[in-house]
Amino acid sequence: MSDWPSAFEAELLRLGVQPGRARRLADETSQQAAESAATPGDVFGPAHLYARHLMAELNAPAAATTRTRFEAGPVLLSLTGVGKKYRRQTVFQDVNLTVRGGEVAAIVGANGCGKSTLLRICAGLTRPTSGEVRRVRRVGLVPQDGGTAGWLTAEEHFTLFGAAAGMVPGRARSTGVHLATRLAWRPGRKQRAQQMSGGTRQKLNLVLGELHAPDLLLLDEPYQGFDQGAYLDFWQQVFAWRDAGRAIVVVTHLLHDLQNVDHVLDLGER
Amino acid sequence: MTTLVVASLSTREVGRRRAALILVIALPFWFYLVRRDLTGQSIRMLTLGIGWAISTLTLFVVNASRGVDPRLRLTGASVVSIIGGRLLAMTGLGVALALGYWTLVAIDQDVLHLWAAALTMLVSALVAAPLGSLIGALLPRELEGALALLSVVAVQMLADPAGLTAKLMPFWSAREIGTYAVDGGSLDLVWRGLAHMGVTWLICVGGTLAVFQWRLRLARYPEP
Repeated sequence: MSDWPSAFEAELLRLGVQPGRARRLADETSQQAAESAATPGDVFGPAHLYARHLMAELNAPAAATTRTRFEAGPVLLSLTGVGKKYRRQTVFQDVNLTVRGGEVAAIVGANGCGKSTLLRICAGLTRPTSGEVRRVRRVGLVPQDGGTAGWLTAEEHFTLFGAAAGMVPGRARSTGVHLATRLAWRPGRKQRAQQMSGGTRQKLNLVLGELHAPDLLLLDEPYQGFDQGAYLDFWQQVFAWRDAGRAIVVVTHLLHDLQNVDHVLDLGER
Repeated sequence: MTTLVVASLSTREVGRRRAALILVIALPFWFYLVRRDLTGQSIRMLTLGIGWAISTLTLFVVNASRGVDPRLRLTGASVVSIIGGRLLAMTGLGVALALGYWTLVAIDQDVLHLWAAALTMLVSALVAAPLGSLIGALLPRELEGALALLSVVAVQMLADPAGLTAKLMPFWSAREIGTYAVDGGSLDLVWRGLAHMGVTWLICVGGTLAVFQWRLRLARYPEP
């Protein structure tokens, strides 16, 4: 399978991708497979099929948003007049947001305007200074960075977080590995979190946030370090969660993400 | 079950930090080696070395878990299972270290009460894990925590054993039992040491749990 990147690149060129971009995509894909300690063929399947799949995704991001939408379900998260102060400094105030099952909300705003703080308030890890929060009990949080144990492998993380959710180790591991494949990632058995690239660690973070099947997912810029293919896989996964009736709140600074969401909450300039 | 999983994975994490583990195992040995010619002093220093090594290791393990713990809470784990699992792992490592060094002492020294020598090392290990955990809970940054532990051990080492200051130090229990192991005397020394250990253990475990209950508390929101 050593000629997989060449075959992949050749297929991208045949599909009309500019040579420089084709080379970059081939490099990124090979690197991603290397992080999983597997051959690209094992991770992505036949080169020509994955190239076609990737191009279809790259060429049709907008089409994904026009897929059949299900009716929004019950309210899973509600913020009414929520504010946060640290001593005398107001971070934000009077924030209102309602997210139903089957909806995606985005929180945007300048650096330091309190996006991550608001997400932590939604999770219940930080208390609001004012206002009311109502949410369902089962919630998953994916932080912007950190949130993993550097010396543990992905499967050990699945076991740990599965135990926290009351799952037996075998089921937690198999669920984790299954969820990882949806992000085109096959966790290496011996690779520790600290040996993973930033993007792969974020995939681990995403899987850990979803492992216990929460009704509400809170994602804090979860695609840091993702390559283009992983970024598209991520949004496909968000749509899959949404279509399964879950509510998703994403902190983002990428404006082109906003076409994919149902609500945009702008926390504005600080 | 969560407690056992946390304990098992914490042990595995520490086991993978080979360099740190070797240094932790070696630390009490240097304490022992410098006073090897004097049975009593070597055992006392060894005991203190075990306590310092395990409490420092626990401190670093607690600090390394700061990013994971809130997520575990959110996923459904209780504070008791997270902290209890970690304490269980570190105490287990401490007990293994103590038994290893007790074997060395049994071979290398002529001790009056060998069983009491084992007890003094076990007591040191049992106190060390919750002590490191409490300092890690109170001082979340590693440097500050390590310096605080250094201060505690230094005071313990230098304070007059008969004075009040030494009695207020966490490893006084090990010293008291060690005195019985080396010099003999009344069994009251052992009972006093065990009572001191019990109180110290309760304070450290209770304090750790109280700090983490507060730090890892989750807001209870009503359902929409």
